[in-house]
Amino acid sequence: MKELIKKLVNVSSPSGHEKKVHQAILDELEGHIDGYKYDPIGNLIVWKNGTSNQPKKYLLDGHADEIGVVITNIDDKGFLRIDPVGGVNPLMLLGTIVQFESRTTKEIIRGICSFESETFEDVNKNFKNPNYDVMFVDIGANSREEALKHINIGQFGTYESQIIDQNGKLISKSMDDRIACAIVIQVLKELEECPNDVYGVFSVQEEVGIVGASVAGYDIMPDIAIAIDVTANSDTPKGYKRMDLNLGKGPAIKIKDKASISDRVVVDKLTQCAQANDIPYQYEVLLFGGTNAHGYQLTRSGIPSGTLSIVTRYVHSPHEMVDMGDVLNAVKLLKKAVEE
Amino acid sequence: MYLKDLSQIYGASGNEENVKKYIKDVIKKTGKIDYIKEDHLGNLMCFKKGKIQKKTLVVMAHMDEVGLMITKIEEDGRLNVSPVGGVDPRVLIGKRVVVGEKNIDGVIPYKAIHLQKKDYKKKPDWDDIKVDIGAKDKKDAQSKVNLGDFCHFRTFFEEYENRYVGKAFDDRAGCSIMLETLEAMDDLPAYNIVFAFVVQEENGLRGSGAVLKHFHPDAALIIEGTTAGDNPELKRERWSTHLDNGPAMSYLQSMHVIDRRLFNAIVNTAESMKIPYQIKGRTVGGTDAGRLARSFYGVPGAVVSVPARYIHSPVSVMSKEDYNHTRKLVKELVMTGNYLKVLEV
Repeated sequence: MKELIKKLVNVSSPSGHEKKVHQAILDELEGHIDGYKYDPIGNLIVWKNGTSNQPKKYLLDGHADEIGVVITNIDDKGFLRIDPVGGVNPLMLLGTIVQFESRTTKEIIRGICSFESETFEDVNKNFKNPNYDVMFVDIGANSREEALKHINIGQFGTYESQIIDQNGKLISKSMDDRIACAIVIQVLKELEECPNDVYGVFSVQEEVGIVGASVAGYDIMPDIAIAIDVTANSDTPKGYKRMDLNLGKGPAIKIKDKASISDRVVVDKLTQCAQANDIPYQYEVLLFGGTNAHGYQLTRSGIPSGTLSIVTRYVHSPHEMVDMGDVLNAVKLLKKAVEE
Repeated sequence: MYLKDLSQIYGASGNEENVKKYIKDVIKKTGKIDYIKEDHLGNLMCFKKGKIQKKTLVVMAHMDEVGLMITKIEEDGRLNVSPVGGVDPRVLIGKRVVVGEKNIDGVIPYKAIHLQKKDYKKKPDWDDIKVDIGAKDKKDAQSKVNLGDFCHFRTFFEEYENRYVGKAFDDRAGCSIMLETLEAMDDLPAYNIVFAFVVQEENGLRGSGAVLKHFHPDAALIIEGTTAGDNPELKRERWSTHLDNGPAMSYLQSMHVIDRRLFNAIVNTAESMKIPYQIKGRTVGGTDAGRLARSFYGVPGAVVSVPARYIHSPVSVMSKEDYNHTRKLVKELVMTGNYLKVLEV
């Protein structure tokens, strides 16, 4: 499964540009699903039919997009100005490489992020209070014309980082939410003779505001929708002291966050499933944030929805860290849950 | 030329009735619409059959503008107000307004400079903003206005050599372009078109979603009046758009990434018609495209905007050239069906 994760996090697919990762997902799923379709706004929906006469319908969602940046302007010397796509703290970009795809050669164009620094005072101010008004990206172009050969205003990009695999942890950009895509793929691959219909939704534009999941359930109307997503941690030095979320203690069954309260039916089902099968789990009460469960809850007359989280360190940084054990246990738990 | 009339009609969010009445009259006069539908929210939807009826495009502009609402009447007869949509209290000072259904004249005063010490440097907040309708006292004011009355900017439309000057170009410019597009239709459009004039955009994209319920469209084209922000003290890189550079296309907005296929269709159409265009330099602010993508089964959309300086204030300035270029571009997109074709797989 590690290979699958590596393959998915390596794809650069910011919000609104999920085509590439969708293709990678479809390649992986070939021979493991009964059908797929793209809905009008681009959600990739795949399904595996159940064997029962009266199958229940389960929907597993992992959002396909990742946070990124977008080019808003190019100056005469070829430096780019950017805005964030989703929640990208400008502090995270300092010293980081962002990548764009050349619109002519399709090769990867890398950019270094830095801040304006006219005076020492500016330097201090900008480093203390980094913001997009004082930030620029340098792709090494000598002029606007040279830059325009590869990129243009309105072009989207993402972090670039190498995946690290050590001490049982995987570290990369876009674990949020490719780890969920990998989990859903793995569940669909491993399911055999499942009595119930299982839909996998690789939704678009979660990071900018839960766009895809607001409509993906409209035609499916499943009995239960489970969003799989990363969540914060509290187990680093002086981590959040009002929350209890730990790497390696199992997938986290979300009770609530700022955008949704998980349907109790979903919470109880996942809990019982974990207990019955000796799968470690933890409960998650997140004081901020939101997942696609919010979108499903507001679809039509409402879909009973909840979230299964993978506790992740350094979320929305270029180096998001997950525990491989949590990932495997999430697959196990979801597989059992949809079989019931 | 409907822009002048549309700009001068008073219609803050939730009070679009007069705008709607005007638009409906114009549309009936053109005789080019198959039927008109109105919904409970107040949206006005006009259906035009296309050559091919398998698909439907919704072309959308919002009828509402930003404004104020009366929240309290003081003992001395002056009125407290609260914003309807995004209004910066700084743009209100020294301006004329009208209050209530009878359009009672009023002004928004501020403490004279003689009476101020250092406080003139302070940014006024809503507590400092009062509307003076010349009432002698509370009772006198109560005989003319009431709590909950809307308060609109009293701005008259003007034409300069290259500019339109007036209020509410966001989004009466869009409404006007849609009316002119409809009027200029000399043939059936490629696909079915719904011209949707929607309510309550400025206070949170509340009206537009309901349009989908009636027509099941395949895509949406939003026509907007957008911010220019091309101030001389700002570096060019920080401008949102620039007057006279043509219609503006958005790729990312608040809470929504514009459908790339549709974005490309607009850009390609502008290029093939040699219409100058610009790509917006800022990503703040939302439009109804974001609401439509999130509503019902999800409708992909993109936005074409006429740049205007000083929007969400009592007066904004728009380029005549930009307006006309936008109109041409919208007509082409609507008539040829290029826009819907890109969604075919």
